[in-house]
Amino acid sequence: MPANALDIDGLTVRHGDVLAVDGLDLRIGRGETVALLGPNGAGKSTTVGAVLGLLHPAAGTVRVLGRAPADAVRAGCVGAMLQHGGLPGEARVGEVLHLVRGAYADPWPLADLVATTGTTGLLGRDVDALSGGQRQRVLLALALAGQPPLLLLDEPTSAMDVEGRRAFWTTMRDLAARGTTVVFATHHLEEADAVADRVVVLAGGRLVADGPAAQVRSAVAGRTIRLPSGRLPEPLPGVTGATRQGATVELATTDVEATLRALLAGGVPLTDLEVRGASLEDAVLSLTTTGGPR
Amino acid sequence: MSPLLAFQLRRVARNRQFLFFTVLLPAAFTVFFTRVFAGTPGGVSPEQAAGTMVSMMAYGAIGATLGATVRLSFDRASGWLRQLRVTPVPQTSVVAVDVAVGMVLTLPPLVVVALTGRFVNGVRLAPGEWAGLVGVLWLGSAVFVALGLLLGWALEQKAAGGATGIVGTVLAALGGLWVPVELFPSGLRAVAHGLPSYWYAEAGRAAAGGALPSASAVGALVAFAAVFGGLAVLVARRRPLAAVAG
Repeated sequence: MPANALDIDGLTVRHGDVLAVDGLDLRIGRGETVALLGPNGAGKSTTVGAVLGLLHPAAGTVRVLGRAPADAVRAGCVGAMLQHGGLPGEARVGEVLHLVRGAYADPWPLADLVATTGTTGLLGRDVDALSGGQRQRVLLALALAGQPPLLLLDEPTSAMDVEGRRAFWTTMRDLAARGTTVVFATHHLEEADAVADRVVVLAGGRLVADGPAAQVRSAVAGRTIRLPSGRLPEPLPGVTGATRQGATVELATTDVEATLRALLAGGVPLTDLEVRGASLEDAVLSLTTTGGPR
Repeated sequence: MSPLLAFQLRRVARNRQFLFFTVLLPAAFTVFFTRVFAGTPGGVSPEQAAGTMVSMMAYGAIGATLGATVRLSFDRASGWLRQLRVTPVPQTSVVAVDVAVGMVLTLPPLVVVALTGRFVNGVRLAPGEWAGLVGVLWLGSAVFVALGLLLGWALEQKAAGGATGIVGTVLAALGGLWVPVELFPSGLRAVAHGLPSYWYAEAGRAAAGGALPSASAVGALVAFAAVFGGLAVLVARRRPLAAVAG
């Protein structure tokens, strides 16, 4: 019976007095590529930690491929790149890879693993001599060493340059195409937009939006109307805010049609108007500032 | 040998400073101290030569166990233990391997200093006494494995390295490993009797003399091991190895 990759029910995690995750419900099916998006302190890393059994929830349950988190890790079902994970000093990359591959029943063949993760030339290197980007690639190789069906990545590209990021996400798309479930926490919106087929937005430890990137964008019903600054007709139905940028005014509206009608009725020429959908960044900003409990 | 144990031993073996301070330095001291006493009136007695050798075996063993086990805090600081925690390698074997590494690394100083005592300083013991001496000091080093794990678990990387050096030096100096306790003023002698290093060397001296370690030495060592081990468990409960350093 193929269980979900991830079943999170009512997950609540406290860090001392702080409620880091507050009653999170989340279901992720096998083979999905899901971005956990949100500002710092939204609860992304805490959620990842709970899924890996690194943290003990105050309430709620987490099932990973139908198992308890620690059992799933023990069984080699999960690979992870952690935000605060690291490599041991006084060791060679090849030794570390050998050790970790040896811990899995069915490790990824070495030649293929190092080719996939771009670590071929690094096997004989001292861990202490690696650059930030090389380090991340080795950590990816460790995460993939057991060919895990579920891959969890917590801000995986934070130490990578643009080129490294592109190569990294290409690898992730390949893995997803092979059926690996990929769940990654990020605050890079373009990564979520480009890689994930589903975006889960967290704020203040709660889920504030969940769906395809395009749907999350429209969740704010967000449209902006740009027009040359000048006298605006009153009232303007649907408008939730206005910002002046030099010679133009940008109106945020939840009802484009009504706002446009009012503008045209007020004598604003149609040719001066520009209507755009909100960017994912706008959507997240809007969701996390109004939807979050903080 | 478990792959993790082999991996950990290889890492320590790569550390030249570790080998220098725990093996070569005590061996050199064994020769040096004996030569210093040889200049005094009456020269150096066989008992003094054996006593110096036992003290330096204890000194090297304490340095090796503390130095090996405190590395736990380095591995936590680097995030390696956290990374290892999300592989199928169980946490219990991570700790068990560090205990084993501490115990294994006690042997090089014990053996090298014993060989130095035998072949450079001419210390002569019966085969059974040699075996007893090495065996007692090897088993007794469990006390310092527990102490090193406690320090490594409780302290941050920077503090742990320094603390190990200081603790090792204090244990050696005040425990009578560098200067015999008999030469201490009486106040300091009382301090020495409150340290595990004194009882550790005392047990070694008994074994070198063909006797069983005294009940007070065994009792003291067991008590220290229990206290250090108990404290380490308490700290471990409050602060899991995979927790983010800080």
